[in-house]
Amino acid sequence: MKVKTGYIREYSVISAALGLLILLNLILGSVIIPPRDIFASLAGLSDLSFVNEILWDFRIPKAITALLAGVALSVCGLQMQTLFKNPLADPFILGISSGAGLGVALFVMGFSAFGISLSGSFALNLGVAASAWVGAFGVTLLILLVSSRLRDNTSLLIFGIMLGSVASALITLLQYFSSSSSLKAFVVWTMGSFSGLTSAQIWIMSMLIVPGLILSVYNIKELNILLQGEAYAKSLGVNLEHTRRRILVATTLLAGSVTAFCGPIGFIGIAVPHIARMFFRNADHKVLIPATALLGAAIMVFTDTVAQLPGQSGVIPINTVSALIGVPIILIIILKSKFI
Amino acid sequence: MERVLETKNLCLGYNKVIYKEITTFADRGEIVAVVGPNGIGKSTLLKSISGIQSFRSGEILIDGKEISSYSHNRLAEKVSFVPSQSPRARNLSLFDMVSSGCYNRTNWLGQVGSNEMEFIYHTLERVGLTDFAGRDSSRLSDGEFQRATIARALVQESKIIFLDEPTAFLDIENKLTITRLLKEIAHEEARCVIFSTHDLQLAIKHCDRIWIMGRDSFSHGNPQDLIEKGAFDTMFKDSPLKFDRNLYTFV
Repeated sequence: MKVKTGYIREYSVISAALGLLILLNLILGSVIIPPRDIFASLAGLSDLSFVNEILWDFRIPKAITALLAGVALSVCGLQMQTLFKNPLADPFILGISSGAGLGVALFVMGFSAFGISLSGSFALNLGVAASAWVGAFGVTLLILLVSSRLRDNTSLLIFGIMLGSVASALITLLQYFSSSSSLKAFVVWTMGSFSGLTSAQIWIMSMLIVPGLILSVYNIKELNILLQGEAYAKSLGVNLEHTRRRILVATTLLAGSVTAFCGPIGFIGIAVPHIARMFFRNADHKVLIPATALLGAAIMVFTDTVAQLPGQSGVIPINTVSALIGVPIILIIILKSKFI
Repeated sequence: MERVLETKNLCLGYNKVIYKEITTFADRGEIVAVVGPNGIGKSTLLKSISGIQSFRSGEILIDGKEISSYSHNRLAEKVSFVPSQSPRARNLSLFDMVSSGCYNRTNWLGQVGSNEMEFIYHTLERVGLTDFAGRDSSRLSDGEFQRATIARALVQESKIIFLDEPTAFLDIENKLTITRLLKEIAHEEARCVIFSTHDLQLAIKHCDRIWIMGRDSFSHGNPQDLIEKGAFDTMFKDSPLKFDRNLYTFV
């Protein structure tokens, strides 16, 4: 029996679907822009100034953000699932989103406690992103500090979950003592959003995500060994501590950055790696990493498109849509497979 | 005979002592069985001498050098380890599973060189899994999967192979197949195979040397000498079980 190595057909099908979904994402919204006008504007031939404005100032940045977020969260979720040999692991299992949330809560509610109002939306956005990133990175740093003292990956998982619970408890405490307006700002952040990012912010986000993705590709070799158990990995000469650290840093760069700029976006990070495994029926991360990246991008852009569907009457929060799309997928996987 | 493994006053355990005073050795080209009652520390012994787990005191010499003087990669060239129950990774092809043994010789993406391919297929043939290369390794039978884990260790090309209860959970036919395979590997490829087992009859019949982890003391030697010295009786001391010298088992 021959071993299958190439998946060019599968990758091209997903890429084509991704292209169509991006086009659909650009078409739909409060105003429907016909594909003809989109192509004209993309080619720089459109003289419809409102089309150019909507497209270049709003929809294209939003589509790029969704695409980056989808890639980052899915690739990150895949690594967490392999590291912990746990099908329910997601990018935030180690408390990264709780850490980010704590950062944002301290920023949003802390300022209001000192009587400073945050009216400038740009300063608010950047401050939220920075504090979220510091929170996420703080959690990772704490885990890295103790990781060499932890016996195995299960202890690491328990430590991360506990850390997340402490952060969540602190958030609740802050919420209890904060004003209703700052509470609302925090809750809006937790709903997740891809819109309103300036091109500078998108640049910063990609500068963090791209190194995270490069590091993830560099993790492939060890991820494949980890599939076969820690004892075996150790006997092969894999340095488990280094590997753990590299995966953690990649995770923070990917999930931490997305959370900082878009809020904690759930379900995609769990669901996409499973979809990739179902599609490709191969456990090799050389196949799965590009597969989750492409599928993650496509599903996230689709999620964002669905969120825009109410058109004139507003936007559904991303987390609502991702849960509505992600949960059935997870259920199908559980029902269809005897073991994950 | 090349002495590939030696322990001196080895004391197992981390915080508390599990087993003490193990002074023994194994040579190249030998198949060695480690026997003893449940919970005595057979797994701990194998994990300690293969460098997976730390030990309390004493010396472990691999190829004449202290085990702690080896780096992760260098040790993996000398020693490979087959855990008692390896997790099965779904959708991992048998070929990918076995080729992972080349870890130290692959490129940064973990791709196997074309010169290794032939060696991997040859190893699959050796353990009788030639036709299974493209199969999902998680769907192999217990006996086939155990042979796959042995192939994985062979691909690592280490002088010493440790196996933690490789024949547990297998039927009698598979037990025999695996034990014979291990013996062939030791004798024909001049490697040293050390495995733990509860199957005394097979161990006595097929192994060159047996390490007995008795309740109070450790003894080692070739099976016939051990039988004559009555060493097997130390295994279940203070119990009504007695070793039968003709049946090679406890009655």
